[in-house]
Amino acid sequence: MLSYAGKRLAQLIVTMFGVVTLVFFSIRMIPGDAASAMAGENLSGAALEEMRQKLGLDAPLWRQYSDYLLSVVRFDFGHTITTSLPIAELMLKALPLTMMIACMTVLIAVLLAIPLGTLAAFLANKGRKALDNIITWAAMVVDLMPSFWTGLLLMLFLSLNLKLLPASGDISFGEPGFMLQRIALPVLVLAVSQVATLARITRTAVLEVLNEDYIRTARSLGMTEILVVFRHALKNAMLPIITVIGLSFGHLLSGTVIVEFIFSIPGIGTLLVYGINSRDYPLVQNVILFYAFIFVVINFITDMVYKKVDPRVQF
Amino acid sequence: MEQEAIAGAVRQQASTRGSKPRIPLPFLRFLYANRSARWSVIILVPILLLTFLAPMLPLQSPLESNIRASMSSPSFSHFFGTDKLGRDIFSRTLAGIKVSLFVGFSVALIALIVGTAVGTVSGFFGKAVDRIIMGIVDIFLAFPSLLLAIGLVAIMGAGTLPVICAIAMADIPRFIRLQRSLVLGLKSRTFIDAARTVQAPQLWLMSRHIVPNTIAPLLVAASIAAANAILIEASLSFLGLGILPPEPSLGNIIKDGQMYLQKAWWISTLPGGVILLIAISLHFLSDGIREALDPRARK
Repeated sequence: MLSYAGKRLAQLIVTMFGVVTLVFFSIRMIPGDAASAMAGENLSGAALEEMRQKLGLDAPLWRQYSDYLLSVVRFDFGHTITTSLPIAELMLKALPLTMMIACMTVLIAVLLAIPLGTLAAFLANKGRKALDNIITWAAMVVDLMPSFWTGLLLMLFLSLNLKLLPASGDISFGEPGFMLQRIALPVLVLAVSQVATLARITRTAVLEVLNEDYIRTARSLGMTEILVVFRHALKNAMLPIITVIGLSFGHLLSGTVIVEFIFSIPGIGTLLVYGINSRDYPLVQNVILFYAFIFVVINFITDMVYKKVDPRVQF
Repeated sequence: MEQEAIAGAVRQQASTRGSKPRIPLPFLRFLYANRSARWSVIILVPILLLTFLAPMLPLQSPLESNIRASMSSPSFSHFFGTDKLGRDIFSRTLAGIKVSLFVGFSVALIALIVGTAVGTVSGFFGKAVDRIIMGIVDIFLAFPSLLLAIGLVAIMGAGTLPVICAIAMADIPRFIRLQRSLVLGLKSRTFIDAARTVQAPQLWLMSRHIVPNTIAPLLVAASIAAANAILIEASLSFLGLGILPPEPSLGNIIKDGQMYLQKAWWISTLPGGVILLIAISLHFLSDGIREALDPRARK
């Protein structure tokens, strides 16, 4: 287990190194250069030179690269161009909201989707196709709904028409009640599609296991159906389910960008969109890097859990 | 869904035997006889017809504004209502669909071609080539695809062409991965060995024996990629990073409507329903293709 973790960790570091390199060079691929793209047509001559200096674009390329690597390791991402605020601080301030939305979504998805998917598989196994079909179909349609559209629909019905949840207002950790109300809608939007994905995977995985011989054996021993399904079938179907929970985290991270944008929640996604719109390249590159970092770490954790659940997994 | 569908196609591909599965003539007829494919045809064909015949229909042009008819609700003269400037949402939606489909199919085609070529080379030659290619692929896969597309659009700027490039770049690594695993599965098969024994050149092996046998799962993946690309393009445009107004795209129409959600619900909601319909039909199409190319799935 430890050597597996070590190998996987080494691979993670190599990948992260590649990611940092990619991000570094991609910003330097901007037609013209970042400084003139940011300055637009208003700046010229001396001011442009100053902007280059501010971005560190006047140093030789290898120097810029090594400086950048060092700054990433030190978690010092420099300052935004437009407001001169420290980027690391901005991201750390925005992080809790985004993570809270993501984690609550995963929790809800797991609590709802696994029983739902198991139920669908059980019904399909028993030959009761109708309900299984309804669940499968609903899951497919819901999964394909664009999240910004679902978000606007829920906003229209739940907050504008029924006035159940607020769609605007400042969020602070001082008022946890209001904060929860504010992030309820974003979580709901993301949870809807997560539940759909996860329920479908659970159904497939459990259904496959339900056809195994040992399930027949368990039944023939007179076990109750609940015990058969939950203790034997679901437990053995957990592997693909865990993988999908981990994989869908990337989808979830992208989703937070969109829901934060719709419901104006000051999370990392809002920071990203703001950065792009104000052409603040240092901000954009570091936020993207940060997302990639979270995603890679989550994948690593998924692999570790996977290995823990099934020791047969080979590197 | 994506993983499931592709995995299914891969499993079927692994069990087919011949070395030259041609797409048979009855393929198209079968596509119609197949239940999922028929659904996709029933949804897609009317949408396509409306979209491409739009200039000939008695509709207001998508860019023409008419302040007197500002924010009128859906009616027989404006099926989807009008927006603040009195532009007809239905004709804007049709124009948006054209952009969406163009983006979706371009991305699928680019990702399919590049992914197949690079993936085949990577899987077929192995060793150092494979290690370098897969190293690069892993770096790209460290980004969630929508975020990668957002980052690339931030660099390349807004507009149809950058959006297509950005989404395709995010999709290509996935296709390389898929194709490589398919090729690895085929490489040790007897018919490849047989071809090697008679000293078939490598290019011949790849183009005549390897690639044709990977077409089924690739086409399934491509139709799903088209659906995803349409969703991603809409998301980018919704965030104001993709296709910019006044050129209509489903995403930016919906974004425009967000401000007037309460006063004019139709601006945002109806075009979103259209995106959903297109995505569903493309998924049916992928099911249909998978079943059509796999003789065993024909009942």
